[in-house]
Amino acid sequence: MPTSSPSPRPERGKFAAKLLRGGTEPDPRFTLANERTFLAWIRTSLALVAGGIAVEAFTTDIFDPAIRTTIAVVLLVLAMAIGCGSFFRWLNIERSMRHKTPLPLPLIAPILAIGGGVVAALLLVFVLLRLT
Amino acid sequence: MMRRGRSVPEPEHHDAGLQPERTSLAWSRTTLAMIVATAMFLRWFPEYGWFTGTLVAVALCTALGIYITQQLRYRRAVSGIANERIHADAAAAAWVAGSVVVLGALGLFAVLFLALD
Repeated sequence: MPTSSPSPRPERGKFAAKLLRGGTEPDPRFTLANERTFLAWIRTSLALVAGGIAVEAFTTDIFDPAIRTTIAVVLLVLAMAIGCGSFFRWLNIERSMRHKTPLPLPLIAPILAIGGGVVAALLLVFVLLRLT
Repeated sequence: MMRRGRSVPEPEHHDAGLQPERTSLAWSRTTLAMIVATAMFLRWFPEYGWFTGTLVAVALCTALGIYITQQLRYRRAVSGIANERIHADAAAAAWVAGSVVVLGALGLFAVLFLALD
């Protein structure tokens, strides 16, 4: 696309050059879209961190200590897995785009779905036990 | 976008999809999410000031780092769109992901090993 003030291309950093070897630079729109998707995963991870801490810090009057700690631990472990996995997902997509191969399936999506389901099931059990 | 000095010309692009703006806003949202997530830890500030301080420092360093490099990142995206070529920012991605993992680990440490009420 034309522009009024194109800037010179910056050189690739050593870290990026080491991680993303070979291939050719993909369409910049795809690279930026990949970056935004990565950031969306990071925000999901941050929401899980906030949720895990909130459960432990603000629900002392609602939950038993055991259930509270379990839910908080599951949420925080999930947050770490999603945070770590989002980087590797970003990296794998960038590599696929550089080598023009099909994009990999997201492993972190089922992890998030299963983790969320586990936390919901724990809460359901707790609520049912409390009712009886 | 942010303009710090009048001598620096504002970069321009003609991308109808406004990719640089959307990406820049995504980074801003991430900064805000990081600050909000960290604010949850302040509940333990009266009992564990040192711990909460470390945690807030980690998050604020990352948030500040993102904020400071926003203009640079936007210019990089604009020039990338203009030149039809952009270098993926692996260091920024690793840095942010690493910070989130550290935050999660510190949260896990707090839940499992600190005597919280």
